[in-house]
Amino acid sequence: MKPSCRRAAAFLGAFVACLAAAGAGAEEPVSFFGGRLRLGGEVSGTIAPKDEGWFNYSDYELSTLRLFRLDLAAEARLASFAEVLFEARSDNLRAPEVYALYLRLRPWADRAVDLQAGLVPPVFGAFARRRYAYENPLPSLPLAYQYLTSLREDAVPSRAEELVALRGHGWLVRYPVGSPDSAPGLPLVNGEKWDAGLELRLGRQPLSLAVAVTQGTLSYPVVRDENGGKQVAGRLAWTPSPALEAGISAASGEFLSREVEDVLPPSARGTFRQKALGLDLQWSAGYWIVRGEAVWSRWNLPALDATRIEDPLDALGVYGEVRRKVRPGLFVAGRVERLGFSEIATVLGPTTWEAPVTRVEAGAGWTPTRHVVVKASWQHNWRDGGRVHENDLVAGQLVLWY
Amino acid sequence: MPDPTPDPRGARVDLSPRRSGRRRPFLPFLHPIVPRLCLVALLLSPALAPTQEARSAGGMIRGRVEVRREVGGSEGRPAVGELGHHAPRDTPDRRRSVVYLETAPQAAFEAPAPGRAILDQRNETFVPYVLAITVGSTVDFPNSDRVYHNVFSLSKTRRFDLGRYPRGESRAVRFDQPGVVRVFCEIHSHMSAFILVFAHRFFATTDAEGRFRVDGVPPGPYTLAVWNDGSVRDRREVRVASAGDVVEQDFVVE
Repeated sequence: MKPSCRRAAAFLGAFVACLAAAGAGAEEPVSFFGGRLRLGGEVSGTIAPKDEGWFNYSDYELSTLRLFRLDLAAEARLASFAEVLFEARSDNLRAPEVYALYLRLRPWADRAVDLQAGLVPPVFGAFARRRYAYENPLPSLPLAYQYLTSLREDAVPSRAEELVALRGHGWLVRYPVGSPDSAPGLPLVNGEKWDAGLELRLGRQPLSLAVAVTQGTLSYPVVRDENGGKQVAGRLAWTPSPALEAGISAASGEFLSREVEDVLPPSARGTFRQKALGLDLQWSAGYWIVRGEAVWSRWNLPALDATRIEDPLDALGVYGEVRRKVRPGLFVAGRVERLGFSEIATVLGPTTWEAPVTRVEAGAGWTPTRHVVVKASWQHNWRDGGRVHENDLVAGQLVLWY
Repeated sequence: MPDPTPDPRGARVDLSPRRSGRRRPFLPFLHPIVPRLCLVALLLSPALAPTQEARSAGGMIRGRVEVRREVGGSEGRPAVGELGHHAPRDTPDRRRSVVYLETAPQAAFEAPAPGRAILDQRNETFVPYVLAITVGSTVDFPNSDRVYHNVFSLSKTRRFDLGRYPRGESRAVRFDQPGVVRVFCEIHSHMSAFILVFAHRFFATTDAEGRFRVDGVPPGPYTLAVWNDGSVRDRREVRVASAGDVVEQDFVVE
């Protein structure tokens, strides 16, 4: 048995053991040492026809709509002011990967100041912290947090034509400068992976500020610094009433890896950053939850050969989402989203550097018991480029959590 | 007023999945799905208490329930996605128990006195943790917190979802079937409570010291059961010899 298979088997065993320890029908997480160590978990299976247009593929080269995921989380309270949090995931029974591992500190008991260090939750935006499938009303992820553009952190095009030639092919990209391998491109914000660093939150309600310094960028979170610079990100949240929460986020960090920078000619060297701004809004009352989020991102690429990529590459992802409970245990939900890109000059004239995508998704969810959610959805995608310009997908998802 | 004469057709109130009496089960819930976990407490609404007239017509069963088993706090899922510690919250009183007659005179079941009770949401905790009511009673769910709550239950006895509402507002639910209703908050996974809906009025919730008192019990033999934190923990046979008789019965829950 391969080591990765052994790790996956061990993870599966631990997961099942925790589930068994929780007991059938148990309503609370498994806990040990008088509640000082708590475990939680989630298993989700999502099924859909093959996504020929690669609209739902994530940075793991996995489709988020054809995914079996095991998720194990732990929270260990070391003291009243210190906790260690951990989460590991296994996708399609592959070797588990650590998704979160960090220390949470509250230095002063009477002040709303929190410090977190390690592989930490992102402060930018809102969606990436709703990590459980249970908290997502639809089986898919928003485009801004999942859709693979044709940008890579470890390889770059030398000409604008090479970039636009891969419009709509973000699932597998190869460029002449940097890594010679083919690999998936980057999303605007990676909703499937967290970054390593240090973060600080001040205040709680109605106003709170969270700032983080991390190794990677929104598009490409990393554990080890590969890009020679840190990212600084922050989010200011305003909760004037329980019904409304608004957040404004910003981030800036160097995203090109050293592998690329080392092979650039001296004339093309510089600082290549991803900068992003975000706006998120949630309103809820009664049986309604309405969410909206906008993520604007800008990347700078080195200008090499003609036609040189002189202008920054911009992208804007916007989505609106609504969930309505129609009776106990039953809800309907919908999401409308758009991913747009800026134009660059090519020999054939200006064109968007990536193919814009529009998605509409509608679905329903049923909770027969507290720990089970069954979801079904229909999704339609339009794209102005790529091999497949339009497709429909019907997806089903089963989520069990404890 | 209950019939003071023991009725040989007396019905059983069974809160346990392990025992099913030959007689008609009045609380058939506590199916394996009903959690064995937590327990706590609450008093019966004064509106649900037996009248003075009823009390004088029967005997009294009283005693104390000593909970020795370890009862934890109420914990939610690991908060891995949070940006800091959660706000301080209260711990539910899971030592409170409900003591009730599993068998009671048939007449007592025919006219339970519905009342009104309150299950508050305070400091991210349901207060009380366990609420015992009679069939037909209405429970108010006020929100006393600055944050939203979303009370719901998927129990077969009574499925409901009250949606999200802010501080100062309340929603009400009427319970028309006997059984156990497990109550949760959709937003705060650590919040939970029990509502025990009885088809008769011969039950009591223990006080802070574990004491209980069931009044107005017609003379006759009964099975007295104690329910704590999701399960029936013990049963004892008791006999009320005559009107005015006082029966002492203590329990130890381990």
